[in-house]
Amino acid sequence: MDRVLTFVNSDRAYVRWGTVLLALLAGGLLWEVVGLQFNQAIMAPLIGDGVDHPGTLPRLGRYLFDDPEYLLSLLQSIQLFATGFGLALLIALPFGIILARLVMLRVALESYILMLYVTPMIALIPFILSILGFDFWPKVLVVYLFAFFPILYNTLEGARSVKPEMLEVAKSFRSSEFAIWTDILIPYTLPFALTGIRQAAGRALVGMVAAEFFLSTSGLGEELQTASRNFDMAGVLATILVITGLGISFMKIAGVFEQKYSAWRGLDR
Amino acid sequence: MSAEAEADGQSSRIEINGVGKRYGDLQVFKDINLEFREREIVTIVGPSGCGKTTLLRCIDGLLPVNEGEIRIEGDVITQPREGVSMVFQHFGLFPWKTVRQNVGYGLKLAGAPRAEIAEKVPYYVDLVGLKGFEDAYPYQLSGGMQQRCGLARALTMEPSVLLMDEPFAAVDAQTREILQFELLKIWRMRPMTMVFVTHSIEEAVLMGDRVVVLKGRPSSVFEVIDVDLPAPRDRSTLAHPRFTEIREHVWTTLMDEVRAAEYELN
Ligand SMILES: Nc1ncnc2c1ncn2[C@@H]1O[C@H](COP(=O)(O)OP(=O)(O)OP(=O)(O)O)[C@@H](O)[C@H]1O
Ligand SMILES: [Mg+2]
Repeated sequence: MDRVLTFVNSDRAYVRWGTVLLALLAGGLLWEVVGLQFNQAIMAPLIGDGVDHPGTLPRLGRYLFDDPEYLLSLLQSIQLFATGFGLALLIALPFGIILARLVMLRVALESYILMLYVTPMIALIPFILSILGFDFWPKVLVVYLFAFFPILYNTLEGARSVKPEMLEVAKSFRSSEFAIWTDILIPYTLPFALTGIRQAAGRALVGMVAAEFFLSTSGLGEELQTASRNFDMAGVLATILVITGLGISFMKIAGVFEQKYSAWRGLDR
Repeated sequence: MSAEAEADGQSSRIEINGVGKRYGDLQVFKDINLEFREREIVTIVGPSGCGKTTLLRCIDGLLPVNEGEIRIEGDVITQPREGVSMVFQHFGLFPWKTVRQNVGYGLKLAGAPRAEIAEKVPYYVDLVGLKGFEDAYPYQLSGGMQQRCGLARALTMEPSVLLMDEPFAAVDAQTREILQFELLKIWRMRPMTMVFVTHSIEEAVLMGDRVVVLKGRPSSVFEVIDVDLPAPRDRSTLAHPRFTEIREHVWTTLMDEVRAAEYELN
């Protein structure tokens, strides 16, 4: 029993990666078996037989390596994501710190921020549609809204928790407001902000697909819609895998930054 | 006030006139009258919570006073002033900065040229015994080392007034003794007005030209004791009969307070 427990809780790299690999294989196998049971209009298997049951992975391969139009869609989506997400970053980060520094402004806006933070942004899409129409920028606005509030909220909470002792030291050494930002507020807030950024990346991806779905269709959202209208489940699942891949890459990148900028927290992490 | 005189540390003088401080309803101290002369080391002792840190904050211009005024070189203090540095009881190091960056913090803010920073920082890092730890982060240092880092940060500014809030509280006994004499040596090379808060009566008597005893609730200056011990102070001072005498005197003065507090509790 003890030896089983030791093995199960082992933190060795090969046990870990072996476990991950096994889990993925098991999941893939399950998918394959289930997929082969159904009509191709309902469900597609992972690999498939290429005749009655077209597979998801072969389709993914074709999309990525043999379909310039699909790549264009992918690029379109990435562009939309990057614009909306980038704008959210650019505005939410400084705004969060400013709110932490200006108590009155924060008190005035706090309830709105909390409300919008918990609002399912998808509910706002009809308004955006009816007010702004079908352009590129309304879609950017959707992505922006999905990403903005998690970043703002986490940045604000982080900046608010700056230790008064540190601000006291800055004051004692006659620091300028600008230097307080670069020496204290930004480095202190960054790990908190990055938590928000990671959260926001996931949400922005949802926003991206929703915008491409409900506003003027484009990008991966359009691919998804076309495939599902044709009951092409392999296409739907392949596109979902692409979106998943985007999401995971993004979280990983944010995670690397998070580690890098929270190293100073040392043991109290 | 000419710039040269300030750079020499010649004219630093602190006057505390009828100063009182409140936090809301809590009157921390009242009617404090003190004068710190140029190149003088004044130590402040008093029971925990009597307002020693608060007083230093007021002198540094971090907190406004509620009654009276504090003047440094004639100017009423309303905000932190050039030439005045503080060593904090809470260390106040920046965890994302290395020792080198923490120690150079004040110089960088003051816009000192790179060459000056590159010269002074290692000098003071070495002086407080942190050589070899220049690139360490605060979380990699012990409490005593962090405290010395904070001390180096203040010394690097080469201030004419140095305010120290229990600067050696987290340091072990041996290091503490080394640092005490090291600090006195620095002071002899570059005399400055030092206000030194400590919990150790020995340290107060060893380091101080005068010892200020704060007492009462709200506290005020109970006694100012002239420490007429021969200079320079060194290890032999500790064995001086007069040293023992003054130490016992301060001890008794403070002990009454502790007894009174105990009595109140019962
Ligand atoms: N920011 C604050 N707000 C309200 N009360 C405070 C604040 N800072 C300190 N106090 C109170 O003021 C009193 C004096 O505090 P202070 O820190 O100056 O004491 P101290 O003499 O330095 O104590 P110690 O020797 O333990 O460091 C204490 O009763 C403390 O609770
Ligand atoms: Mg204190």
